[in-house]
Amino acid sequence: MSNLVEIRNLQTYFYSDAGVNHAVDGVSFEIPQGKTVCIVGESGSGKSITALSIMGLIDPPGRIVGGEILFEGTDLLRLSDAQLRKVRGRDISMIFQEPMTSLNPSYTVGYQIDEALRLHQKHLNKKERFEKVVEALDLVGIPDPREKYREYPFKLSGGQRQRVMIAIAMACEPKMLIADEPTTALDVTIQAQVLDLMKELQEKKGTSLLFITHDLAVVSQIADEVVVMYRGHIVEKASAEELFNDPRHPYTRALLHSIPRPGVTPRKSQLDTVDDTVDYLAFPKEIR
Amino acid sequence: MSDVVFKVQHLKKYYEINLGMFKQPKIVKAVDDISFEVRKGEVLSLVGESGCGKSTTAKLLLKIEEPTDGTITFEGQDITQLHGDELSTYRSKVQIIFQDPYSSLNPRWKVGRIIGEPLTLNTDMTAPQIEERVRYLMEKVGMAPDWYDRYPHQFSGGQRQRIGIARALALNPEVIVCDEPVSALDVSIQAQVLNLLLDLQEEFDLTYVFISHDLSVVEHISDRIVVMYYGEIVEAKPVDALFANPEHPYTRKLLSAIPMIKSVS
Repeated sequence: MSNLVEIRNLQTYFYSDAGVNHAVDGVSFEIPQGKTVCIVGESGSGKSITALSIMGLIDPPGRIVGGEILFEGTDLLRLSDAQLRKVRGRDISMIFQEPMTSLNPSYTVGYQIDEALRLHQKHLNKKERFEKVVEALDLVGIPDPREKYREYPFKLSGGQRQRVMIAIAMACEPKMLIADEPTTALDVTIQAQVLDLMKELQEKKGTSLLFITHDLAVVSQIADEVVVMYRGHIVEKASAEELFNDPRHPYTRALLHSIPRPGVTPRKSQLDTVDDTVDYLAFPKEIR
Repeated sequence: MSDVVFKVQHLKKYYEINLGMFKQPKIVKAVDDISFEVRKGEVLSLVGESGCGKSTTAKLLLKIEEPTDGTITFEGQDITQLHGDELSTYRSKVQIIFQDPYSSLNPRWKVGRIIGEPLTLNTDMTAPQIEERVRYLMEKVGMAPDWYDRYPHQFSGGQRQRIGIARALALNPEVIVCDEPVSALDVSIQAQVLNLLLDLQEEFDLTYVFISHDLSVVEHISDRIVVMYYGEIVEAKPVDALFANPEHPYTRKLLSAIPMIKSVS
């Protein structure tokens, strides 16, 4: 199995008067072709910053101070802004947590999907692009795609907006899709639909997926490989099967046991918690 | 006295949306003819998706909203008829914990004043007595009493939720309505807050009306569950019966949609 992306010793720091925040501090992992890698961790663990670093979206006071992000062998950190813009949106695209705020309210849904095609598929004419947009809307399960082309985002529900975001991200058939908490703002039944859709698209198009979430239950449903992050470091890395059947790092175990599981956790029992007096970084890392 | 705390009968809450001067207003049936009971000492959960009416139901119980039709009785008293002293007694017996620990605390007030506010407003306690009670409450919710003079921004989300819980406990309430109290928190913090809520329930003999869309949390904490869908109750059962034998198609759909960790040794 070849790796689409290899991240080696990535360090992203944020500089302020109060000092340096080591948000991502020496992170290495691989994303195999056509597989789903989940980064899981709590707020402040560095999971989103890792994703933004791959996309080249770190703005000052943040800076990538070290490491390599190899995409098909090319180090993205060495590309110029113009070169990176060509990769971004065409080869790698990203969907965000908030479907309410990440669409532009003053443009139609169709226009916003078309934008990706206008920028990256310049050989297509207007009519071909229209057909592609309709196809993309249809692919993500939006009913009446031809009519929906002309709708504005406010007319769509949360689940439909997230589908539109996925349509934008998938419009150029990227090799990799980064999804940062794409279902956190959605209801459970809608979440299940969006997860199914992402898996289905992945199977059809062979896209690699980097999925960022704090929800271990979601991870257990979609991940092939899991990376557990804690305070800027990877504490455990394993296949989903290994991680859930045999979690080795104390932090992973604490995280798993803090979630009540119907039928397993005794009702109204005290749940295990992540002990904030323990420095989990002191334990050996479990990289399998 | 019976063990029924709240008895809700044929409760309705409709909102009118004006579409324009010459158009018929549109009626949104946020809560449409629901009946249920809350019993003393239990955790009753209201579950459902956004817009199903669970938060509107909570607002009606707290008398923040007035029902369009139907009755709510609290320990035999019709709450829609309460005024003056009776109403303030009622308000001190039924408290709420909000979802968002960031917007529900006044950023300009110190923690001590936030937790003590219900006491200042509703009791004749003197300032030193209030301070003593606030420090006691802070200890009960697992906060160091010397954080009394700090501001909310100096705390994490989980700690802020503890402040909200201490404030809800200040007047020795009988019922606490918990409106998505853990959904804004990280999983490990969520576990801490759930543990705290269960401890406090035992210690202070509380009844909870728990509102959540997270069914694994609901399964852990509840005695009975009321499933709502588009303003109506589709199923109401003890938690074991609901999970073992969901009858309504919507309940089944909801249960099958919860992502659950398959196996953990």
